[in-house]
Amino acid sequence: MASPGYAGKILKVDLTNKKIEAIDTGKYEEFGGGYGTAIALFWDLCVKPGGWDLQDAYDPRNIISIMNGQVSGSGIPYAGRTSVSGLSPQGWPVNWFTRSNIGGDFGTMLKYAGWDGVVVQGRSDKPVYISIINDKVTLEDASKVWGLDTWETQKVIAKQQTGSSGDGKRDWRSIGNEFSMSKPAIICTGQAGENMSRIASLQHGGGAAAGVGGFGGVFGAKNLKAISVIGTGGFNVADPKLLLETREWFTSSSGRPGGFGGFGGFGPQKAKSSCISCVRGCRTRGEAGSDDRDQDGCMETTWADVHKPAAKNEHEAKKANPLLQKYSLNGFDTCFGGIEFGPSGTDFPLETPEASGLGYYIKRLYDMGVIGPGKYVTVNGKKISVDTAPLNFDEYGSYEFAEKYAKIISTREGFGDLIADGAVRFAEKIGRISDLDSLLRCPTWGHTDHWSMAEVTWGYGDLVDSRDICDHVLQMVFMMLGFGGSGAFGGGKKQQNQNPEEFVMNLTKAFVPYDDDPFMFDYSWDTDQAYKTGIYAESKAKLVAWRMHYHTYYKESLMFCDWNWAKPTGMGEKGTPFGEPRLYNAVTGKNQTFLEGMEIGRKAWTLKRAIYALQGRTKENEKFAGYMYKPGASGASFTNTLPVYDGKKWAFQNVGQMYLSEKGVEAWKTHYYKLEGWDPNTGYPKQRTLEKLGIKGVADILKKNNKLGAA
Amino acid sequence: MGKKDDKKKDVQDGKFSRRDFFKKGGSLVAGGIVTTYGAKDLLAAASSSEAYPKAKGHVEHDATLCSGCLSCMIACSLAHEGRVNLSTSRIQISRYVFDDFPNDIMGFTCQQCDDPKCVENCPAEACHVDTENGNVRVIDPDKCIGCQTCFDSCIYTPRRPVWDSQNEKATKCDLCTNAPYNSKSEPACVSICPQKAIKFIGQV
Repeated sequence: MASPGYAGKILKVDLTNKKIEAIDTGKYEEFGGGYGTAIALFWDLCVKPGGWDLQDAYDPRNIISIMNGQVSGSGIPYAGRTSVSGLSPQGWPVNWFTRSNIGGDFGTMLKYAGWDGVVVQGRSDKPVYISIINDKVTLEDASKVWGLDTWETQKVIAKQQTGSSGDGKRDWRSIGNEFSMSKPAIICTGQAGENMSRIASLQHGGGAAAGVGGFGGVFGAKNLKAISVIGTGGFNVADPKLLLETREWFTSSSGRPGGFGGFGGFGPQKAKSSCISCVRGCRTRGEAGSDDRDQDGCMETTWADVHKPAAKNEHEAKKANPLLQKYSLNGFDTCFGGIEFGPSGTDFPLETPEASGLGYYIKRLYDMGVIGPGKYVTVNGKKISVDTAPLNFDEYGSYEFAEKYAKIISTREGFGDLIADGAVRFAEKIGRISDLDSLLRCPTWGHTDHWSMAEVTWGYGDLVDSRDICDHVLQMVFMMLGFGGSGAFGGGKKQQNQNPEEFVMNLTKAFVPYDDDPFMFDYSWDTDQAYKTGIYAESKAKLVAWRMHYHTYYKESLMFCDWNWAKPTGMGEKGTPFGEPRLYNAVTGKNQTFLEGMEIGRKAWTLKRAIYALQGRTKENEKFAGYMYKPGASGASFTNTLPVYDGKKWAFQNVGQMYLSEKGVEAWKTHYYKLEGWDPNTGYPKQRTLEKLGIKGVADILKKNNKLGAA
Repeated sequence: MGKKDDKKKDVQDGKFSRRDFFKKGGSLVAGGIVTTYGAKDLLAAASSSEAYPKAKGHVEHDATLCSGCLSCMIACSLAHEGRVNLSTSRIQISRYVFDDFPNDIMGFTCQQCDDPKCVENCPAEACHVDTENGNVRVIDPDKCIGCQTCFDSCIYTPRRPVWDSQNEKATKCDLCTNAPYNSKSEPACVSICPQKAIKFIGQV
């Protein structure tokens, strides 16, 4: 029997053979549920059977796992997200196994239906959607929704599933022996996914998206339009009274309105929209007569171009934002240039955007005269048209331009076919992959830059993972130093008047088990100190290990929201490392420590490393794009003012000029591999490490494939 | 015929009688055309307008403030049943993002009616006025026979009593006067709401 918090079984749907079965969750509890369990499922369903090189995300043998967390839906705040994983078509040059996650209530509805996740394998011979109504799982004809945008798709499926849609009326519906007023929770893809764009997202509701990874394309490749779920049941918790009291304890003086609030995007946030159990609500509810539906302000900013007048851009970006959701496009990889608000200056140099996706890249190429009406490039002696029709760059910055841009990527019309697989593959197609040394700001694996630098452990995380890690834990802390934070981030005042040493020592306390090493937060980079205690030192390996283990378990497996966890400062006993286990134990009745959770994260993270080894990851190819080693690597960021130790004392310094040295990164990788128990020469996990983690069978498969680290 | 239908038939057959319902129900069964709507119409017509002491308050939901987090529904089921189950929550929040604000979120709470048809028509005297706890209209689970007459009697759409399928009984908002896992002095949905969108109106 599954532990409290779990539904007890995982749904497996084989689209090729139209076979539906249940997997016992209990078998995978040691991986922590959510993404941890999904990694283990990938291992069991895709790696163990063998006979496949694990290279093509569009191969029917690839699985896509959509999982909830053990405490999701229990009332624990900021813990209701849904994990998505599988081989990622966006991954470049290899379709690495990767993850995404999505807000809203899909995962929790899945749990209320009696499932801890759904795993889809195979390829349907015709477009289908999966209908889950508690234990009743069917494959439904999707021909009527194929070709529709994600909002229309959800409306049609909701009507098919419940008999009504969008009429403003509500009533009970009889489902088996239950009654429910819930609309189905639907996750789906739009035209971008159907046409297997490698930057296609999965969408849910109005604005929730699993953007990173291109998983919309995986749905498209499987002829899968959507998954709809209605759950009318419940699940047990260990001690309901304690759970309610713990929730009250956690939210009594924090997290109430007036705290973080929402990101808000452009303009004031109106009524808030929350994921399930969230006490803040970072998204915005719809506005009558507008296309504003459950929108995420962060994504609005990605439509802005940093070189355009702000007032016009705000309006156009806000208006254009729903295009991402409707067509199912990943905002950051589609975007035009990241954040454009707040003060400019050394802490926030607007000339280099914080995010710089495909839109940013094509605009620069257009300005350079490389692409445009009637233009051609020659690649290996072959003439390739780079005519940008039907885009009209005279309309650049307008909603009309954005609409055409989103449409042609999603339908692969004209120029759209050339760019539909993202910026790096576009560069490759037109013979400009060397732009990764300068203009094309994708630090690793074909994903756009996103706060990778100067807070370099984000960049290191990208490197040893397979994507933009999108882990804001330290940004939330450090932005207070140089920038002060906008109202949305709850700041507003620089905090450089703190004693730097005191600041670092206090911060260090949260980072168990490395809470004795303050040099994790030394951002020395251009002196020898960088190797002793700074960005190339062992201390930085510890901080990255902490981030990856924490993220793997607490954020991706328990499904704690990245925008709220971890909380290393300012929360006392409610923050890291005390709050997480108390909330978890209130649901499960276990007596799990923070460190035990981190070890579950380490285990799943190491298992993922074994998958990477089999996919071809080595120390040799684990390298940043060339621009990261050159001046200009650090773009606009809230976090360019960081603690620096000069060998004698701590200070806050602006390190916004930071760029990396290849020698230094290699030194850091050696520290990191050793710390993780991986072979420092290859990056492969060692047998001893795998045995200690209780996954010896993994070592056997790695050994058979000559991918086991030297003892 | 399911257990619920058996119970309905028992009511209609006169095994449980109360006020005018006994006579009207009997004649309806004799006609052999019992339907949910038929029963509801009949029960409305059968109102005795009996005076009940007014409840000292009720819970109201403000859809313009709500963020749709459903914490209230989770809290309600936890406080009463000790497990998470949105279907048994006495407060129902229905969210559909493709409806225009504020209809994208709609909340439904028991109004603790002055003229509670659920009480009036309950054939088992399970649904009653709890005079020891602010005259809240409550359902005694030991007496409830699961006939769902209270569903049909409720004057609101959607009806406010809810179905506990595990125990095959109806239940309804009791303002947490009998919520064994709620340690707060106010209803669990009110205290947990992070947006202060749920308020208790009145005094208990």
